[in-house]
Amino acid sequence: MRTYELMFITDARVADEEVESITEDVKTLLTAKGGQVLRVEQWGRRKLAYEIAKQREGKYTLLYLTGEPEELDVREVEYRMRQNDNILRFLTVRTDEDYKRAGMPLPTEAPPESESESESDDEDAAEAKTGGDEEE
Amino acid sequence: MARGGGRRVFFRRRKVCKFCADKINYIDYKDVKLLQGFVPERAKILPRRISGTCARHQRMLQSAIKRARHIALLPFVTD
Repeated sequence: MRTYELMFITDARVADEEVESITEDVKTLLTAKGGQVLRVEQWGRRKLAYEIAKQREGKYTLLYLTGEPEELDVREVEYRMRQNDNILRFLTVRTDEDYKRAGMPLPTEAPPESESESESDDEDAAEAKTGGDEEE
Repeated sequence: MARGGGRRVFFRRRKVCKFCADKINYIDYKDVKLLQGFVPERAKILPRRISGTCARHQRMLQSAIKRARHIALLPFVTD
């Protein structure tokens, strides 16, 4: 079994609900392509280190996923993300070997820290969604 | 070899790989705070001879920085 992290940047002009629905689409597609999404993190609006498509900001989304190498077709998902003009950039990283070497547990629904902390993380994410660049 | 005058002795502080010291086995590209310490103002990757990072960890660091650059968490260049 392999694990991956899939991070993508959505155009900051896109509404948070739309980001949510793009995320949902990606999730659906991943599931259809033999993957299983373990956890989703919405980082919200963030300054880009350099301009991408004339944009200085973007909304980051991070997915943790897993799947069997024979079944999971990440390439297809990447192909579809490339078609979406609202997605500025994405990065897929295979992590299972790193997890194994570092002896780290697989990501679960909640972040691996303490329960209360993971809850506050969720709140932060929700705040960032409604309050724009409050996190910065 | 003949040497005239007082011999200069340089005392160099022995550099220890930060990651070995902390027993880190995976350098996360998402850890921008950590990575930023290895990309000085021009945003170039700090060479091993300066940071003292061991070969193995420098390699991990390098790929983490490159990943972070791709996803715009770190800059390629700054002026």
